[in-house]
Amino acid sequence: MKFPWFKRIGIFFIPASVAGWIILLAGIIFAVFSFLDIDGRSHSVSDTMINFVFMLLIIGAVYSVIAYLTSRVTNK
Amino acid sequence: MEKENFEKKLEKMTKPEMPQLKHEDMLADAIINAKDQSVVSWWWLSVPLFIIMMLLMRSFYMPGTSLISNIHELAGKQKYMSLIFFLVSPIVLIVVNLLIIRRIYYLSGNPKPVNFLETVWFNVLIILLSFLILIIYSL
Repeated sequence: MKFPWFKRIGIFFIPASVAGWIILLAGIIFAVFSFLDIDGRSHSVSDTMINFVFMLLIIGAVYSVIAYLTSRVTNK
Repeated sequence: MEKENFEKKLEKMTKPEMPQLKHEDMLADAIINAKDQSVVSWWWLSVPLFIIMMLLMRSFYMPGTSLISNIHELAGKQKYMSLIFFLVSPIVLIVVNLLIIRRIYYLSGNPKPVNFLETVWFNVLIILLSFLILIIYSL
């Protein structure tokens, strides 16, 4: 496989290849679905936002691990 | 004629030079890697910090509750999630960041404390926050 898939800018990993964009899109689609799911079950706007931000942070944490592992270039 | 050419060649010849030392490359790689890893650490740390912030707000708005009692309640309801984010994740982050700091320290070759802290301050911050999370969880 051709690496790197991501490059880091600040605290964000930005896609640098097609595979990177696919992973980012998958993350965004999952975030939208989880928002709709949380919104359907919650009783207020704050309830939705608190649970959605929590889910967004988990998605961000998993995405950052994938991005970190695939942004390494092995030149040895 | 041949001798003169050889002398000219000798004059042009210099010692083989290495413009960049190998350990400088290794140090640069280690610092870039440390920054990448600290970003990943920050994302993983943001989850328990967010939970603590929310529970702190809850303890302000709900009379008769405190942050500790709210964390105990969460640990009872969400056993595995609280174990992952309040125990496993901070311990892993402390170990990883200590290893990063150790690697940079040895590659830097006895650096000045100010310069060294300037390079690894974010890793130190993550270690301190991880300890804070562990302390709050263990209370």
